[in-house]
Amino acid sequence: MSEATDNRPHVIKDSRGKRPAFYAAEGIDNLTSMVMVLASELTVLRDRLDAAERVARASGIDLAAGIESLELDEDALRSRESWRQDFFDRLFYLARKEANEAANAETRESYDQAIEDIAVK
Amino acid sequence: MLNCFQQAAHGMLPETTHDEASRQEFAKSLKGFIQSHLLPGLEPVYQKRVAKNFEKETGRTPENRHDIRKAMVKDPYFQLYASINRIAQELLWESTNVSIDRQLPELIEKARAFSAASPAELNIPEGFEPPRYVSALDIHCMPGGYCSEVTEDDIAAGVLYDRGVYLYTMGYTGPNNDDMGRSVCNYLKRNMPEFKPRRILDMGCTVGHSTLPYREYFPDAEIWGIDVGAPVVRYAHARAEAMGKPVNFAQMNAEETRFEDGYFDLVVSHILLHETSGKAMPRIFNECERLLAPGGLMIHADLPPFDLMDPFTQFILDNETWYNNEPFWGAMRDMDQIELAEKAGFPREQVRFDTAPMAVMEFNAQSAGYDAESTGEVADRDFTAGEFAPGGGWEVLIAHKPQRKHEAA
Repeated sequence: MSEATDNRPHVIKDSRGKRPAFYAAEGIDNLTSMVMVLASELTVLRDRLDAAERVARASGIDLAAGIESLELDEDALRSRESWRQDFFDRLFYLARKEANEAANAETRESYDQAIEDIAVK
Repeated sequence: MLNCFQQAAHGMLPETTHDEASRQEFAKSLKGFIQSHLLPGLEPVYQKRVAKNFEKETGRTPENRHDIRKAMVKDPYFQLYASINRIAQELLWESTNVSIDRQLPELIEKARAFSAASPAELNIPEGFEPPRYVSALDIHCMPGGYCSEVTEDDIAAGVLYDRGVYLYTMGYTGPNNDDMGRSVCNYLKRNMPEFKPRRILDMGCTVGHSTLPYREYFPDAEIWGIDVGAPVVRYAHARAEAMGKPVNFAQMNAEETRFEDGYFDLVVSHILLHETSGKAMPRIFNECERLLAPGGLMIHADLPPFDLMDPFTQFILDNETWYNNEPFWGAMRDMDQIELAEKAGFPREQVRFDTAPMAVMEFNAQSAGYDAESTGEVADRDFTAGEFAPGGGWEVLIAHKPQRKHEAA
């Protein structure tokens, strides 16, 4: 953040008053709000693409029709599939870790034992 | 109904980037979806599942809204409904706040310029203490509430309220958020055409949404809007000038204003009372009586009392108390407002509830999205607990101060 930005006043971001918990299991309230923020960003992205198509059309380019009739060449197919696989890998990073843990026989007990060995002794 | 209502631009609203505007639309759309798709599921969930379980566990049927609430909070459908409703509320403030934060010093400069150009008064005294019912927690989860100031001549709370309320009401109160004031003005013009108030006071006016219609309908009257929040009246004063409808604004407490006895012919409030307290409300009624000249009218447009509603409806309405930082919302509906007015000195037969029909259809073609079909659908709805705004109209408490004391006998 630049100094000029730092000197500007900032609005209050959080409201006073204890926030209620709606779900019995801890963490679900937090998770739900994060899902909704992500849903919001998804619509923002969708709106932005829509805006791009409309701006292009106003400039004489039918982006929407071009998108529909676009034929993906080998390079595009590879690039997209590679992106999707990377994305899945990020999305399922916990599953990946869980499988690795199983493969390396890492358990809760082994973790506790490591702490015991390193920190306590 | 496809709600595409858009707020009308005026000189004090912040600019939004494409993405900021889109996030705000998301919050508004989500509120609409909750109202049209999630809310209706609560009743069958209650009737078919929750009430039956309650009976099984306790051997009796739920008797009141408290019983219903106790049972409903454990139900996963209700949990989802209530949590998404809360998140929608948080997102509408958050998405608005981002634009304000980006432009705050520039907005303050604009407000200074508009206020300096206004012929109307702006009165903000030194050392004013806002009452605890607005400072203890941020009502309807608006970050900072009505009174917080982060810098000199701050108006952030006003900007946030102006835009946030539009998203909260999903545009149902019109492109300028003024349906309530407009509805009361219409009511007066239609039912009491001979009533010509010389001076009008709008209590708890925040940014003057409901105040400005009085300027339009009673152009010769001296009009004052008062509120306990300095940043909101500061913004109100600038906004009124930006909209070409200058009005006097002051930071005052409706329980104890600085006006002399009998100064006003009309004292009004719009959605003020439920944001006060059990102690403040009688004091506000007393103050209204003191401020009115003989022959004057007190009109409060707020939440109708619980007494004629079934317990499930009461439960739905009371969710605001528990989940939206509205501590007085439910308790206020339990108060006998007719009796309060009588205790304040209004003769009982001069106090009544009535309905002021929504003015929403008057907004046709005044801003994007307000077409006859959409506004008609808003106006034609039946009252449904949990939806914003009744279809038929706003419930108003009207009290008349007699011309002479013996008239009251």
